[in-house]
Amino acid sequence: MIGPTFRQSPAPACLMLAIACGGLAFLLLQQALSGGTGSAPPWFSLLPALRADNMDAVVIWYSLLPRMAMALLVGAGLGLAGTLMQQVLRNPIAAPTTLGVASGAQLGLLLATLYAPGLLAWGGEWPALAGGAASLALVLALSWRRRLAPVAVVLAGLVVNLYLGALSTVLILFNQEEFRGLLAWAAGSLAQNNWADVQHLLPRMLLAMLAAGLLARPLRLLELDEANARSLGASIRQLRLLGLGLAVFITASAVSLVGIVGFVGLAAPAIVRLMGARTLFHRLLWAPILGGLLLLTTDLALLQLSGQLPTMVPTGAMTGLLGAPLLLWLIPRLALSSGPATPGAGAVGRRRRASGRLLSRLVLLLAAALGLALFVSQSAQGWALDGIDHWHTIAQWRLPRVLAAVGAGALLALAGTAIQRLTGNPMASPEVLGISSGTAIGLILTIIVAGTVSLPILLLAGSVSALATLLVLVLLNRASGFQPERLLLTGIAITALFEPLRNIILANGDPRVQQMIAWMSGSTYYVDIATGVATIAVALVVLAAAPLVARWLDLLPLGDNTSRALGLGVNRARLVLLTLTAVLTACATLIVGPLSFAGLLAPHLARMMGLTRALPHLIGASLIGATLMLLADWAGRQILFPQELPAGLIAALLGGAYFMWTLRRH
Amino acid sequence: MRIGTVDWTIAEILLSLDVVPTAVAQTTEYQAWVGEPELPDSVVDLGLRAQPNRELLAALNLDRFLLSPLFQALEPTLSRIVPVTSLSIYNPGGDLWQSLTEATRKTAALAGVPDRAETVIDDHRRRIEQVRRRLPDAGMALLVVQFIDSRHVRVYGKGSLFQMVLDRLGLDNAWQGGTNLWGYATVGIEDLTAAGYLVVVDPMPMGVTGHLADNRIWQALPAVAADRVVHLPAVWSFGALPSAARFAEELGRALNRARQGGGDA
Repeated sequence: MIGPTFRQSPAPACLMLAIACGGLAFLLLQQALSGGTGSAPPWFSLLPALRADNMDAVVIWYSLLPRMAMALLVGAGLGLAGTLMQQVLRNPIAAPTTLGVASGAQLGLLLATLYAPGLLAWGGEWPALAGGAASLALVLALSWRRRLAPVAVVLAGLVVNLYLGALSTVLILFNQEEFRGLLAWAAGSLAQNNWADVQHLLPRMLLAMLAAGLLARPLRLLELDEANARSLGASIRQLRLLGLGLAVFITASAVSLVGIVGFVGLAAPAIVRLMGARTLFHRLLWAPILGGLLLLTTDLALLQLSGQLPTMVPTGAMTGLLGAPLLLWLIPRLALSSGPATPGAGAVGRRRRASGRLLSRLVLLLAAALGLALFVSQSAQGWALDGIDHWHTIAQWRLPRVLAAVGAGALLALAGTAIQRLTGNPMASPEVLGISSGTAIGLILTIIVAGTVSLPILLLAGSVSALATLLVLVLLNRASGFQPERLLLTGIAITALFEPLRNIILANGDPRVQQMIAWMSGSTYYVDIATGVATIAVALVVLAAAPLVARWLDLLPLGDNTSRALGLGVNRARLVLLTLTAVLTACATLIVGPLSFAGLLAPHLARMMGLTRALPHLIGASLIGATLMLLADWAGRQILFPQELPAGLIAALLGGAYFMWTLRRH
Repeated sequence: MRIGTVDWTIAEILLSLDVVPTAVAQTTEYQAWVGEPELPDSVVDLGLRAQPNRELLAALNLDRFLLSPLFQALEPTLSRIVPVTSLSIYNPGGDLWQSLTEATRKTAALAGVPDRAETVIDDHRRRIEQVRRRLPDAGMALLVVQFIDSRHVRVYGKGSLFQMVLDRLGLDNAWQGGTNLWGYATVGIEDLTAAGYLVVVDPMPMGVTGHLADNRIWQALPAVAADRVVHLPAVWSFGALPSAARFAEELGRALNRARQGGGDA
């Protein structure tokens, strides 16, 4: 798969990047001195005689040079952190952001700004560090009973990530003006105005490198399987804890200073491995080097361009934008030495119950929720039980949203069930596949380019981008026969495109931000009755067709060989299911935004209740998804009346809390 | 006449015409970010600007609802409750004074007080004109910024309310770079090297003032080194005539003080 010339070492690539950095840096310094007018004095002759009244020299010495140093340090740190996490979790897509550290740090800073602004006088790093550490503690607590098994940790990290992200979004939604500065930070800006941050970060990084060097030997034991490693006398849990703790320490110190620069931590270790650094020692050596150079190159290139743009493009967001296509290119070339399979991990069906009785109870639950959502409400005069005399109001304003919420919840749940069974991966959800994000990217670009927009245009743009995303997914995965891991990787790479785009918009404080955040958080506000009915109709049609694909979904989790032996056209089945999932996700995303906790949660809950066969699983999940979205939409309209919280956000907050609680119990 | 709006700039126009709107979105935030003209407590809070509460809106029996293009997506749904009119104020490329006065006239007509518009417009024009006459001569170029964090600012230029006021005052904006649709650019502070005055519009984000003390770039900026930084109290940067007049007056006062006392008080 990989050409023999690349097999030996990442050194040539790093050298090339270093040369590019040198050239770009020289150009930049030259421009800074000449003010862009051409002939400049040799810049190095100025450095010893730095004086505060020479603006050019000050900019070079206190802005450009510390910025370059910072880029190298942060990139190296994230590369190191990513390598450690990937080693500890034995997961090629683990990254500093996977464990929720970045969102934890962001939330810590947001909370400090709102409720304890006095803390910020000492700098933002402490609340950020506390938030990052707290979210890690939460992740570890959630996976403690599973002995910090890799799958459990990643699953917990992902859920915490979504949860904290949703909390941050609520705060941003209601405090848009206050958070301008934080949003620039969140998008990853490397700008420096003195050497303080470098002085702050350098000793921490040196310490971390040293510790990583010491840990390297014992960490290699993790490559053995668990029983063997334990027999060698290594305390696996402690070792993992140490490795993760170190990675989080590095991430939090870097992130608290320059914001979220997540992608480097994922890309550097992956690229280094791809280029032939096989052993842990090699990866620990090369990933930081490559990470530093990657970030520096991006930053320098961005500085070259920044003069021409009225928009600030933070470097952290840019690494994401540049890095995601790179990852998409890499995925088909990545040799996935997938460890021992972990079928059904995370949520194991406790026991099979009579599914008929269970399903009828779920129907009753949905009916009760419908009654609540339609007839109980808060108004300026307080709580009220609205009778039929209010039917006009109910039909006009509540019914469309109720229908849309039920339909979208069911669609997401169906998509989630299919994708979880398809990939045999409990982490999978429509969002992980990147279709929600792909749709969202298309919609955001449309809003920006068109200025003012209408619903039909949005619908068209959303459908087109959902299909384009699907095309990318299929094109990149057809060669490998839609192998589950690759599929997930592709989806995550597409999601990685969405995050930075969103962050650039947020960082620049576009006044249309509120509407975008509201939609991105899954609000049913803009839905009308036709859309509501259409959503329900799609959900019913898909449910009616579910028996047709149920057999595939029963067989596929058994593994390719078993499925084939039982007469299943594996590739064709996967293709059909994938298309179906994409279309379902696109429909739901257009209505309630890309936040799809329902798609992750509902299949899980159904499974935990004991619905293990595909058909009851699909039906149960869609009932749960519908009820969840419905309750979320209703609660969102009542809690902060007259302000409305988006249904997607509430679903993520309610569902996430429950999900974490059950995760802890299992 | 019962009028509602989600747009703070339109709320500002209504108040300048002595028309108290029945309902406005995010009233608490209005008080924090627009401040003047003051919004009476009797005004009903409609919820988020992008998503005013429709059941509440329907119960209020409004006669008219005003939108700006920013919230155009609300038009089809809100027009089922109340007659909706869109007023476009901030148009890229257009003359802002022209659109502000035009919006004031239109709003006055819609609110049933068409005769008040000219008085209000003349009033504000006169207030700005008065500032211009009292300005110290020897016009020095200036930069108008709002801090985002200790390293980044919004610098206002072509298309912004502040640029419009500078033009009317005969002052030169030292920012020659590009701006976005709303008349500002987000830049690092190292770009603020133009000579002349540096006008900082409050509010300062938390902690920034402390950080600037040991920010070497900030200290080296020509305006900072020469003690030509002036601070203005918060003014809504997407405001209407009242915000414009207030910005002019505060700027004039600050510049006069700086000229006499040397630097910021």
